[in-house]
Amino acid sequence: MIANLIDGLLWNISLVVFAVGVSWKMLSIIFAKRPVDLSVARASSIPGAIKTVFTRFKPAAGMASRIQMKIVAGYMFHLGLFALMFFAAPHVRFLDNEFLGFSWTAMPHSAFIISAQFAFLGLLMLWLYRVLDPVSKLISTTGDHVASILTFVVMLTGCLALLESFSELRLLHRFSVELFLIYFPFSSLMHTFTFIPSRAFTGAWFGRRGISS
Amino acid sequence: MIKFVVSRQLRLLPGLLSVFLVLLFISLPQPGIADEHQKVEGISNKNPGADLWRNVRQRDQELLGSLKSNSQGSSQVKSVDSKMLINQQGDLWARFRMEQLIKYGMMSLGGILILILVFYLLRGRVNIDGGLSGNMVHRFNSYERVLHWVLALVFLFLAITGLTLLFGRTLLIPVMGHELFSVIASSSKEGHNLFGPIFLVSVVLMLIRFVKKNIYAKGDLTWLLKGGGMIGKSHVTGGFFNMGEKSWYWLVILIGLLISISGLILVSPNFGQGRVIMELSHVVHAAGALILIAVSFGHMYLGTVGTEGTNESMRTGYVDISWAEAHHDRWAKECHEKQLIVSAEQYAKLQGRNPINSEDSLSLEKNQ
Amino acid sequence: MARMKFYCDAERCIECNACVTACKNEHEVPWGVNRRRVVTIKDGEPGERSLSVACMHCSDAPCAAVCPVDCFYTTDDGVVLHDKDICIGCGYCFYACPFGAPQFPSDAAFASRGKMDKCTFCAGGPEDDHSSAEYKKYGRNRLAEGKLPLCAEMCSTKALLAGDANMVSDIYRKRIVNRGASVMNWGVSYDNAKLRTR
Repeated sequence: MIANLIDGLLWNISLVVFAVGVSWKMLSIIFAKRPVDLSVARASSIPGAIKTVFTRFKPAAGMASRIQMKIVAGYMFHLGLFALMFFAAPHVRFLDNEFLGFSWTAMPHSAFIISAQFAFLGLLMLWLYRVLDPVSKLISTTGDHVASILTFVVMLTGCLALLESFSELRLLHRFSVELFLIYFPFSSLMHTFTFIPSRAFTGAWFGRRGISS
Repeated sequence: MIKFVVSRQLRLLPGLLSVFLVLLFISLPQPGIADEHQKVEGISNKNPGADLWRNVRQRDQELLGSLKSNSQGSSQVKSVDSKMLINQQGDLWARFRMEQLIKYGMMSLGGILILILVFYLLRGRVNIDGGLSGNMVHRFNSYERVLHWVLALVFLFLAITGLTLLFGRTLLIPVMGHELFSVIASSSKEGHNLFGPIFLVSVVLMLIRFVKKNIYAKGDLTWLLKGGGMIGKSHVTGGFFNMGEKSWYWLVILIGLLISISGLILVSPNFGQGRVIMELSHVVHAAGALILIAVSFGHMYLGTVGTEGTNESMRTGYVDISWAEAHHDRWAKECHEKQLIVSAEQYAKLQGRNPINSEDSLSLEKNQ
Repeated sequence: MARMKFYCDAERCIECNACVTACKNEHEVPWGVNRRRVVTIKDGEPGERSLSVACMHCSDAPCAAVCPVDCFYTTDDGVVLHDKDICIGCGYCFYACPFGAPQFPSDAAFASRGKMDKCTFCAGGPEDDHSSAEYKKYGRNRLAEGKLPLCAEMCSTKALLAGDANMVSDIYRKRIVNRGASVMNWGVSYDNAKLRTR
């Protein structure tokens, strides 16, 4: 009963909410009215846009030493999560069966575990920093905490189900993923999709003014 | 493992000793009798079957026999310990785990909890003489606090999952039945295996970060002799870390490394280590973890309800200067000299609170 | 009720490994898992003997004692079986077993051992007899068909005996008598047997 609900209806609902929510949000950002830029173009904005998407992967020169831990933890978490999501054997199988109809080489089990460990350590450090540092504590909203904790719960239920033999644990993981997908479009988790356009927008703005950044 | 076998036999020791003494007395040569007996040679017809069964049992294997036993057989099946017919230590280990580890583990953890409760009822919270001043001094930066809580959360998770696997059969199966406990045990095992290496990383980061401040120094012995100020009223001295904190630190580092390494041996059977090594690793892992968990109860108690003003140091990174004077007088003196003390108003501002109304400003922290 | 036992006659085992092969074939055992193995002692030396060893279905089984999820049970026939739906693949039974009977499909790092697999005395598992789920997890249930374990049934020298403990010991006792009665004559048994028949 609950199993059918989680595997069937709730899964479809969460997918629809996720897809509609994300596309609606992205489209509304892209088609939002922007003030007309009255400045005289010194250079083309496109190279600036492309360049900034990549230069922002590196911390700003003056900041690097101050935010060392967040940079390291941030990369650990994001790269670890990326590897987990798209190269863990059960995920590759799942994507193949449910959506794509084709698959790619998955990571060996030990590499999967190690990337999970990176992701967990990174996420733990980042969330604890959010709670313990007075400044980041002040600027964090409830939504940020919920997003962090939901991500953590998704990863945790996934790692608890690693033996892949108890349907209860798989359902728990899937249920947490569904909550995550439903919450996704309404939260700061949207940065998964918005980070490139927002960097590009800033880059275009700078590029047009001939600012190198 | 040997230790546990010996200890069981130790109980028999007085009895055995007296029997031995009586026998010794009787067997003393008594004049006139001894020479009349002719010595009769035993029949030295060797039983050829005995050799075979001695080899089958592989009795001459050392404790680490699976490593380098020359009495190993050979087998076409190539897998871990496939050449060994009988593993002598297996049953010993099983009995140690089921009869001693689980029993004494439960007793010691429960005992520590009761001890802490009794101590709390007798002594109560250890307060600062003259109360907190409200003036703060910076103690741990955000990286140090993050590190502490990463280690703490990972440790808690590992402790809960590990104890579930150790005590679950005794405590949980009767309550929830085999099927449900199996789900919980499986998730505990997988989670435990995944988080273990994170624990190792955080212990190593902890070692690197705090090793300098935790080297034992002059005055630590007197701290110990005075019972750390918990017993009696005499004042104790301490630097940035006092003797008790240093000892807890080294316990975490040393036992933490020990259980991490033995855990890694247990978690990676792909290197072909034999069962005997696995059994020894398990003993080290379980015993070390139980010690660490038992002492961590004390640490958690002291960090929260046990002493006044301690928990702030790992929450905001600041401590009250009176707290520092009470527990770390030499460090407090240093802070006074360097004028590092922050007033209550400044502290509230640093924490993002409204400095005018710093008493109950926590609720106003946001949305104002 | 019968009390099932294996016995391997070291005087007869010729290390042909047919029991190992038969077991693997009968139960479609996964790669890397060997429910039965033959160990040769003093290989190439005087006094060389071989023994075929698998789960001995102990009366007081250490694996069952140590299992953290308590997945072992003993059938009415005295066969020690385990429930793979309960097993979590921790490996403790492998550490505790004196004979190295518990096997795991994988030995990759981070203990992805998979569920334990061991000799079932060809008695399947907790699932319904002859069901496909039982066959997939535990292999053939020959005992329910009224047959004995295949390893012993097809042993060419009848070194490996399986069945009710009393029957096995009767057969073995007769052999000993025929070999010249005493363990003192171990190793020269066939010569003595020849003398006796003459």
